[in-house]
Amino acid sequence: MQKTLLIFLFSILALYSASKPTLTVYTYDSFTAPWGAAAKVKEAFEKEHNATLKFVSASSAIGALRKIQLEGTQTKADILMGLDTATMEMAKKTGLFAPHDLNLSRISLPVAYSDDIFVPYDYNYFAFVYDSDIVKNPPNSFEALAAMPKDFKIIIEDPRSATPGMGLLLWIKTVYGDRASTYWQRLSPHILTITKGWSEAYTLFLKGEADMVLSYTTSPAYHQYTEHQNDIKAALFKEGNYGQIEVAAMLKRTKHPDLAKAFLDLLLSEKFAEIIPTTNWSYPVRTPASGLPKVFEILPRPKQMLLMDPKQVEQQRKIYLHEWLRAIGQ
Amino acid sequence: MRQLRSLWAGWLPGVLAALGLLGFAVMLFVVLLRSAGTISFSSIDPQTLHVVQFTLYQALLSTILSVGLGLLLAWALAHQPRFRGRSLLIALFSSSLVLPTLVVVFGLIGIYGRNGWINQLLSWVSGHDLGSYLYGLFGILLAHVYLNASFASRAFLHAFESIPQEKYKLAKSLCFGAWQRFWIVEWPSLKQTVWSSAATIFLLCFTSFAIVLILGGSPKYNTIEVAIYEAVKLDFDLPTALKLALIQLALTSVLVLLSSSFRSSITNLKNSTARIIWQESRGIIWLQRGLILLFTLFFVTPLLSIIVEGVDAGLWQIVQRPIFLQALVTSLAVATLSALLTLLLVLVLSSAKRNFDMPTRLGRSPWARLWSLLITLSGNLYLAIPTLVMGLGFFLLALHSALPRTLWAWIAILTANVLMSLPFAMAVIYPQMMKISQRYDKLSFSLGLGRRERFFAVELPYLRGVMAYVFALSFCLSLGDLGIIALFGNESFITLPWYLYGLMGSYQSQDAAGVALVMLLLSVTVFVWITKLFGGRDVTH
Repeated sequence: MQKTLLIFLFSILALYSASKPTLTVYTYDSFTAPWGAAAKVKEAFEKEHNATLKFVSASSAIGALRKIQLEGTQTKADILMGLDTATMEMAKKTGLFAPHDLNLSRISLPVAYSDDIFVPYDYNYFAFVYDSDIVKNPPNSFEALAAMPKDFKIIIEDPRSATPGMGLLLWIKTVYGDRASTYWQRLSPHILTITKGWSEAYTLFLKGEADMVLSYTTSPAYHQYTEHQNDIKAALFKEGNYGQIEVAAMLKRTKHPDLAKAFLDLLLSEKFAEIIPTTNWSYPVRTPASGLPKVFEILPRPKQMLLMDPKQVEQQRKIYLHEWLRAIGQ
Repeated sequence: MRQLRSLWAGWLPGVLAALGLLGFAVMLFVVLLRSAGTISFSSIDPQTLHVVQFTLYQALLSTILSVGLGLLLAWALAHQPRFRGRSLLIALFSSSLVLPTLVVVFGLIGIYGRNGWINQLLSWVSGHDLGSYLYGLFGILLAHVYLNASFASRAFLHAFESIPQEKYKLAKSLCFGAWQRFWIVEWPSLKQTVWSSAATIFLLCFTSFAIVLILGGSPKYNTIEVAIYEAVKLDFDLPTALKLALIQLALTSVLVLLSSSFRSSITNLKNSTARIIWQESRGIIWLQRGLILLFTLFFVTPLLSIIVEGVDAGLWQIVQRPIFLQALVTSLAVATLSALLTLLLVLVLSSAKRNFDMPTRLGRSPWARLWSLLITLSGNLYLAIPTLVMGLGFFLLALHSALPRTLWAWIAILTANVLMSLPFAMAVIYPQMMKISQRYDKLSFSLGLGRRERFFAVELPYLRGVMAYVFALSFCLSLGDLGIIALFGNESFITLPWYLYGLMGSYQSQDAAGVALVMLLLSVTVFVWITKLFGGRDVTH
């Protein structure tokens, strides 16, 4: 009797655990913040699939990738979400990721995109964000930024650990080419601090620690939408604003390849395109039938997206980083 | 015959432990070297060179400032032998050893940060503040001086107070001024302590990690330790990390060898009550009082700010968070285990070393001096193997191992903590054991007491105090350390310092304030409570 009961209990347990697999997504912390996209994405995914979706956050997407590498064979990650075109080639080199086998024709991006491993899920433009109540004459170009008074301070992210930091590095490289190093030396006195991730930088900025922070052209929309606050603005630069296409991929080692694919498929869906603008504060990779939220329509938007070829970035990444470290370190 | 057997039992465990520790160091070196394989050291890039230079530079400056300030403070305290709260103040200064580094950094940010007390005061008085000035070289030096000057002053004060009264009387009759008195009477007696403290402080600052990680602010101000951490955590660039680790290992080995002639012992905690009787001139008195007051302010304000901010932050809510409780339980377990292991090891090592050093025991046997040296070396491994280098070694082992990562985390953190506490523990336990032997060996051997009887009846009563001190010290050091956990910490293995670092890193200052306060209270309470409860006699002050 007892034995049958035990077997019964175990089979229920086994059934329970077998019927509810967990798909684990590693991503950056603002995605899982209380105001972030994670909760709604989880709801959308779990409604359609009999599985639990679990988000694990690191202070940046690169940090999440390092976490997977550090955990080696023991990682629990099935999906890595949040790298961008500047960092995805670096991730590919690790050999940890598997092809998505999805048709990407559903998406429309400002630049052409094709990749068999990484799936794009939103895009944005980097910009320096400021409080127009405090900064009356914001710089409108890199030259103007470097020429600001000495006590004008900016917060940027570390290109080694955060995709926005890498974005700025490539942005300045695109604009200045061989003279990028000299520009960094001129910018250096204005840098208050270099944070590991975007969240830290933005938190410091909101606390009034600096005049400007490296963020996105869409950041003001968050303050207008949730706080009805119109003072936070993003500076469009004459030289153009560098873009970011955020991407996700599944790991080769995943125990649930079908679920992982289903998740990547969700990222390309209309439902996801509705969630992303007002949670992750980025442009979706396809316009939902209902259109973009109103705050997005009134946002000033750069005419064109500066973006380096991913393969070229990867070829030069170490050289760029060394150049940056040297310029900053002097 | 029976005595010989019991002696055999008295040195074998110690020798085995020492060989185990040294073997561990060799293994670590082999792991690093084998993984390094193809790295070429012929070309050291300018970035690495810059890091090495800065590491040496900040350590040198920190040492000069800490020793200078510590000496001034000790001089002032030595010549102000009577004022209310003096012994409390001295106890407070020597407690800097057990204050968690990260908590001190948090306190310093509360005072000198952009929104710290100094800026608040300045903008209230004059409408302007100093802006952000803490991060960078200034912050690193400030924290190093905070932790080291106060502790060094304790050792210097002891040296001052050990100067025979006769010398002072003679100097007085010769009408020496304060300057002459210092150079002719005091400096010769202080020299030894000053050099040995300076050597130790230099080594500690050279391998500084947590302080530089937080207060450095940018790659411009990286020490080798932080550069190793960043190479692993930010770039996952193991070849660079290895290269840095081997450079670091080579440099610390050279430094340890160079300084070994200075470093007689790490801590000098003996009690002394000799008070210097000297009627000072008015100017000197005010100078001394000013120094004491200023340093007290410098030392106490960061601690106050932690208390004020922590209480403000809504402590009750913070301590109820599951993640806090998880970190607390892990930290308490880590600290308790580390302290127990340290105590066990130090007893075994010191006891064996004592047997080799005592002429009445094994001191005359042929290899005694070598064994004694080996044991000393094994107890001081920490100085030669910086935490992050050790962490990297463990990490490489874990990377290719099937054992769960959490198990490796436990092994790595316990090893690191024990090695960190051992030099201090040896410096406290060993002299005491020697003293007991010198005093009671003849008696206890003539009574034919066995090993166990000798330990419980003769030694334990005298060792209890120092043992409690070592346990408390090791517990607090382990509780507050942010080192190896920075490489091994994850969602399922969080300690309080790692949690606090995360909160500070993401600028959740409210929660950070609460956690910092808990850590401060925990360290102080445990330290005072354990040394009082089990110590019996006051051995620390």
